[in-house]
Amino acid sequence: MLSRIGNSLFWMGRYIERAEHVARYTKVHYVSSLDAPLALNKENTLESILDLMGQQADYYQKYGQLTDDDVLCFITIDDNNPSSIVSTVNLIRENARGTRDSISMEIWEAINRFYHSINKYDATRFQQKGIFSFSREVEENSSVIKGLIANTLIRDEVWMLISLGINLERAVQICKMILTTLYDVEKIDPAKRGGPAENYQWTMLLKSAQAFDMYKRYYKTNTWRRNILDFLLFNATFPKSLAYNLSYIQKNVQSIAFQEAKGKDSITFKVGKSAAQLQFMTIEEVEDDTIGFLNKALDKLYKLGRLLEEKYLVY
Amino acid sequence: MSDVRSYETYQGVFSGYDLKPGFLDEVFSPEGKVFPHYNLVLDQFKQFTTEDFNELNELAKVSFFNQGVTFAVYSDKARGVERIFPFDLFPRIISASDWDHLERGVIQRNLAINLFIQDIYNKKQILRDGIVPAELIFSSSHYAKAMLGINPVGNIYNHISGTDLIKHSDGQYYVLEDNVRCPSGVSYVLSNREAMKKTLFNLFRKHDVLSVQDYPQQLLSIMQSVAPNSDNEPTCVVLTPGVYNSAYYEHSFLALTMGIPLVEGRDLFVDHNFVYMKTIYGPQRVDVIYRRIDDLFLDPLAFKADSVLGIPGILGAYREGNVSLLNAPGTGAADDKAVYSYVPEIIKYYLGEDPILNNVHTYRCELDHDYSYVLEHMEELVVKPVDESGGYGILVGSNSTREQREELKKVIAANRRKYIAQPIMSLSLHSTFIEKENKFEGRHIDLRTYTLLGKDKQYVLKGGLSRVALTKGSLVVNSSQGGGSKDTWVLAK
Repeated sequence: MLSRIGNSLFWMGRYIERAEHVARYTKVHYVSSLDAPLALNKENTLESILDLMGQQADYYQKYGQLTDDDVLCFITIDDNNPSSIVSTVNLIRENARGTRDSISMEIWEAINRFYHSINKYDATRFQQKGIFSFSREVEENSSVIKGLIANTLIRDEVWMLISLGINLERAVQICKMILTTLYDVEKIDPAKRGGPAENYQWTMLLKSAQAFDMYKRYYKTNTWRRNILDFLLFNATFPKSLAYNLSYIQKNVQSIAFQEAKGKDSITFKVGKSAAQLQFMTIEEVEDDTIGFLNKALDKLYKLGRLLEEKYLVY
Repeated sequence: MSDVRSYETYQGVFSGYDLKPGFLDEVFSPEGKVFPHYNLVLDQFKQFTTEDFNELNELAKVSFFNQGVTFAVYSDKARGVERIFPFDLFPRIISASDWDHLERGVIQRNLAINLFIQDIYNKKQILRDGIVPAELIFSSSHYAKAMLGINPVGNIYNHISGTDLIKHSDGQYYVLEDNVRCPSGVSYVLSNREAMKKTLFNLFRKHDVLSVQDYPQQLLSIMQSVAPNSDNEPTCVVLTPGVYNSAYYEHSFLALTMGIPLVEGRDLFVDHNFVYMKTIYGPQRVDVIYRRIDDLFLDPLAFKADSVLGIPGILGAYREGNVSLLNAPGTGAADDKAVYSYVPEIIKYYLGEDPILNNVHTYRCELDHDYSYVLEHMEELVVKPVDESGGYGILVGSNSTREQREELKKVIAANRRKYIAQPIMSLSLHSTFIEKENKFEGRHIDLRTYTLLGKDKQYVLKGGLSRVALTKGSLVVNSSQGGGSKDTWVLAK
């Protein structure tokens, strides 16, 4: 496989996963805030959405103040924001277009339809349809595309590199969502922590990760910080957890016949080590400094992505 | 003409159908009868209402759009606007006997052109014998000195040829142009057929239409037949300028349907006169390249030094026989308008046969007799400079002013070698669904055929691309001028 194609497949996977997570996070947080049971500060919600993408500064550079319409448009359909969902979808399609001889016609058509449906949104249409409808369009398209990736590709390097991108990006997004939630919780008046306000944030986190129902089935209790963190970080059977995704990253990296020397500097070794560490880690070990743990995890994931690109996917 | 309309033939979507006097209609005879090979289609179409057609039309359009069968129209927006190549649901049908004639004709023609290309880069016998003026070839901007003395595998230069044909009012096919550089459009032929099978499947049940789906397989076997060595299964690739090229869809379609990599110049490099591609496992050797980038951009060491699309040193590898290129560089010297006028002589010279297909009669202004004819009959002729392309410098006599003609006469007198003239050809008409009018009308069409030549292999795609001039009365079928296309059926014997 051409290195350039490898690079495109890897990034196609990452962008598919990124668009979906950003869309769902924005939808869940914004729609819930509309009738939040408590007098929750709507500004917090908008800032939280910008925080997930690390775009507070970019936003304020363009807009003087925080308003619903501006934040939502900036995150979703703003052509000039290189991190917006529409820009991300354009990148998905651009990468897919460069790899059409590697992927199935079904995947390409699904991506092409996705691209056209998202690019139909201008400010007017977005106002009419609303974030709920927009996000659902992103989520559904993303599910169809990932379904076709799962069901139409040979399990060779093409599939593995796309999956690698998807799993790596999902691990990144989960870490970022938990981090943003932890910051949001810190903003709550200390006297009110542990109450409904905090509970609300944790529920939002589960829903943003599409983890609410499975969490309840697994623990059969209400939302509780420690269980939620345990579930999203270390549960080896839930496909959105950090540990689950790292074990898949490990499998994919091992299966791709990269030519590399064995040893501590090899990608296989580094990924294997991180995955093994997570496998035997418990929530007690990170509870006291979850933010520190997450920042380190993110750092490792970013480094892994860079290493992969530098070693095999440059052209 | 009014008596023609009253025929029972012209009902439903065909009511008010006009026959244009002096032109050949592919579907209806001048007496208002349907040509026999169109009977079944007409029977079915007459049962459709306008609404049915609009619905089918939309279906086909959506299918093309979703598949990304589009070409980019560049504008000031960062992302180009994408258009589908308009597609008409009324197929163009070619009878078995007509096709047999055409197929033999294009093979003969392209075999002769191949021998001609070999000759002009080696012995130059045809030039020495004075059949084709040497000056004409050596002055061509497409003549590649780098090709001198190169004999590619199987002695094939024009592996892929796109011969453009029209049907004239005398009922005969004429060759309009030979395209032996990177003829495009074949992906539309296959996509059109797919769209037709999805929308009008009933028609296929009633007709025995020859398949076009084997083209990618045939192209691949042509590529393999000219691979430099036969020890291993050769690695074949399609070389594209990239996703921003307007024909990128076609490049990726060909790679995908042949099951071979689509590469860009930056994916390839040359080491010790061998070509490699950069893969995630390290360098891998490449044997055959179907390149869709122009000669000039192929190798910055040999041609255009500032090309970023090309691969430095690839021509050295080619010269050493370590890689095969489709089509060979320098083939362009054989497909300009002046050489076109010599093709009948070229066929006779190399094959000792009479040409099967007609050339449009061409007056060469360098010959005294032709020159005086052109001066006297300019209003009835199309006058063209031999070395321009893209329609530049062409004068259509019937649409010109007296001043323009007088001006051109002076220009020709100063350089008679540079000009040729041809009678204005009347392209045949074909019923075409016109959305704006909500009915069928006659529109001018041409036909691009695709001929493949390999080592001891010849193949002609059964059909080709019928291009339609969608503007009423227009003879211009180019997609850039708002042209469309039709599925082209060759009926089995």
